[in-house]
Amino acid sequence: MNNVWETEAMAKRIARRHGAERRFRAMGLIAIVLSMAFLVLLLVIMLKNGVTGLDWSFLSGSDSTDPDLAGVWGALKGSLLTMLVTLAVSFPMGVLAAIYLEEFAPKNRWTDMIEVSINNLAAVPSIIFGLLGLAVFINLLHLPRSSSLVGGLTLALMTMPVIVISGRNAIKAVPPSIRNAALAVGASPVQTVFHHVLPLALPGILTGTIIGMARALGETAPLLMIGMRAFVATPPEGVTDPASVLPMQIFLWSDEIDGGFVQNTSAAIIVLLVFLLAMNGLAIYLRNKFEVRW
Amino acid sequence: MIFSIVLLAILALGLAGWFSARGRARLLNTRLRDTGRGSLRAVPAFHGWHMALWVIVPAAAAWLIWAVVSPELVNATVMGLPVAAKLPLADIDRAAVLGEAWRLAGDPDAGFFNPLAAELAGPIREASTRYALIGALLTAIAAFAGGAYGLTRIRADFPAQTQVERGVMLLLLLASLMAILTTFGILISLVLETGLFFGEVSPIDFLFGTHWSPGTAVGEDMGRNFGAIPLFWGTIYIGAIIAMLVAIPLGLMSAVYLTQYATPAMRRWLKPMLEILAGVPTVVYGYFAALTVAPFIRDIAAALGKDNPSSESALAAGVVMGVMIIPFVSSMADDSIAAVPRAMKDGSLAMGATKSETIKRVLLPAALPGIVAGVMLAISRAIGETMIVVMAAGAAANLTLDPLESMTTVTFQIVQLLTGDQEFDSAKTLSAFALGLVLFIVTLILNIVALRVVKRFREAYE
Repeated sequence: MNNVWETEAMAKRIARRHGAERRFRAMGLIAIVLSMAFLVLLLVIMLKNGVTGLDWSFLSGSDSTDPDLAGVWGALKGSLLTMLVTLAVSFPMGVLAAIYLEEFAPKNRWTDMIEVSINNLAAVPSIIFGLLGLAVFINLLHLPRSSSLVGGLTLALMTMPVIVISGRNAIKAVPPSIRNAALAVGASPVQTVFHHVLPLALPGILTGTIIGMARALGETAPLLMIGMRAFVATPPEGVTDPASVLPMQIFLWSDEIDGGFVQNTSAAIIVLLVFLLAMNGLAIYLRNKFEVRW
Repeated sequence: MIFSIVLLAILALGLAGWFSARGRARLLNTRLRDTGRGSLRAVPAFHGWHMALWVIVPAAAAWLIWAVVSPELVNATVMGLPVAAKLPLADIDRAAVLGEAWRLAGDPDAGFFNPLAAELAGPIREASTRYALIGALLTAIAAFAGGAYGLTRIRADFPAQTQVERGVMLLLLLASLMAILTTFGILISLVLETGLFFGEVSPIDFLFGTHWSPGTAVGEDMGRNFGAIPLFWGTIYIGAIIAMLVAIPLGLMSAVYLTQYATPAMRRWLKPMLEILAGVPTVVYGYFAALTVAPFIRDIAAALGKDNPSSESALAAGVVMGVMIIPFVSSMADDSIAAVPRAMKDGSLAMGATKSETIKRVLLPAALPGIVAGVMLAISRAIGETMIVVMAAGAAANLTLDPLESMTTVTFQIVQLLTGDQEFDSAKTLSAFALGLVLFIVTLILNIVALRVVKRFREAYE
């Protein structure tokens, strides 16, 4: 019996199999390293091109035809106003819808339809939301074109499914014993949810909301549809003023022929990435700090 | 401005209603208790909420209706003035002058082209101020009428809590209906505009034509310039072929490494870093593709002896898109591999198979349905991706197999068609909605099928 294992053919065979094992393992590592290398290359090139352009006049200026005078504050303020509108619309809507679907909805065809459409909306290409915004908010309701109001509403429709899905998961994670305890001492179902379940689910909901907002902040395509690509040289004063947003500013500058805008574009990308990183970091912090394991 | 004032006023009235109703209910409660007739059926705070709802909801509804109706009323008033007789008769010109006058009325410093608009701005401003006052008055009446009704409800046997909770439930239901409303909004707006488009260009020409140049489409046979096959091909070639050739091997192998080989500590660090790739905005990828990847590929093409290579290539857009999709494929594959029962893996290892043999012969085949579904979701995401192709793929509608050529996609053309300066309702802009409808239907089918497959796959192992 032992002879079979000690033959040369067997030794070769085992060596081949172990070689295949090592190669396969190396391939896995290479795949990860390649993906990471791409990310690192992207960041390094943006930093190299943009970091010298990051100064106070860049952070406080607005768009201009002169690359030396152009700054990012106008777009940043536009992004801020747009995100405010998005948050104000999508957060209450999303949380209320999540509560209804998770706690009160009867099991019937309507509920199924709502669920299916929420899951599908989360996967619809963002540009389709832009077409919806163009058709409804601008052509039908005649809201001011290129304003952060329309941009925010369009992005809110896009963000709402994300909040609903994460909200439902957070509400589902609250153990039934909490509900039973509240109901047992005489709280009504509505009181149970608003006084006990919702506060416990809130950290999870907030994490999902921040992630959804980060996605909305980086979104460009739907805003292109509703005409937020105008040249805006003064920061917007209110939600109905023509505004630009940070990703749109990057897109507009990337189209400029003047070489000075390469620096501006990369610097604006750095600003955008810093904001996204901060938001995602906040989401992770919230999750770690308030996450309760039942 | 007016909007926020009215909103604040309505909220303030609601607050006042809340306090007065609660106070009244408390008084009633003490009186009932003092005279030994029991107590209120609901706690005083619920009477407050009931009252607040009765103040806020009618007032907000009144203001909303008025906000929709009043511009029409203002227009009607202004049309009755002698100045309006000077307006041009054609509907489009008239609308343009009126639009300008409205802008002027809102902001006196705005510039104007038409002197008539400046003349009309004054009357419009006056009329809208007048109607705004009437609207505010109506809103106040609605608020007080609702409040008065609410006040009469403060009685010992009134079930305020049940009523308020019924209102809350209605609110919850309405919020969840928004999802259906959005879906139908997308469908209806796309279908309506597509219907208008197909009135001018036959669907056969659109879906099966091979020549796309809407810029030159005029006159009788313009259907020939709306053949979308080159766009569909470009979309599939970039999003479903090149991008997947990058994303599937890299995503799958990283998932295998992360789940099977990496130590827990490595996994904890590498997985979030991989996820960062998905969090980078697409406009950043697009810029990176246009600034770095596309010139690099062009130089290689030139070195390989290609004459005059284009600076915008399908390859550049596809590769960058593939990198963007890696974390998506990786996390879907991760989930599917994790769903395979441990006994299958242990059985294979116990028979003497090496780890890589187990993965290749047992784990991956068992996880295949889940992986395929993940790839389908990834494709649906890739073909709907816009910014990368807008910035790196080019505008020329080429029907070619050469990845170094410039190619265009459905999303690129939607952007191109709708961001020009042409008037709305032309066949050109309408065709963008037809393209949008095709995109919506294709991604919808991919998503539904993929979710079905995932669900059945999960059930198979439970």
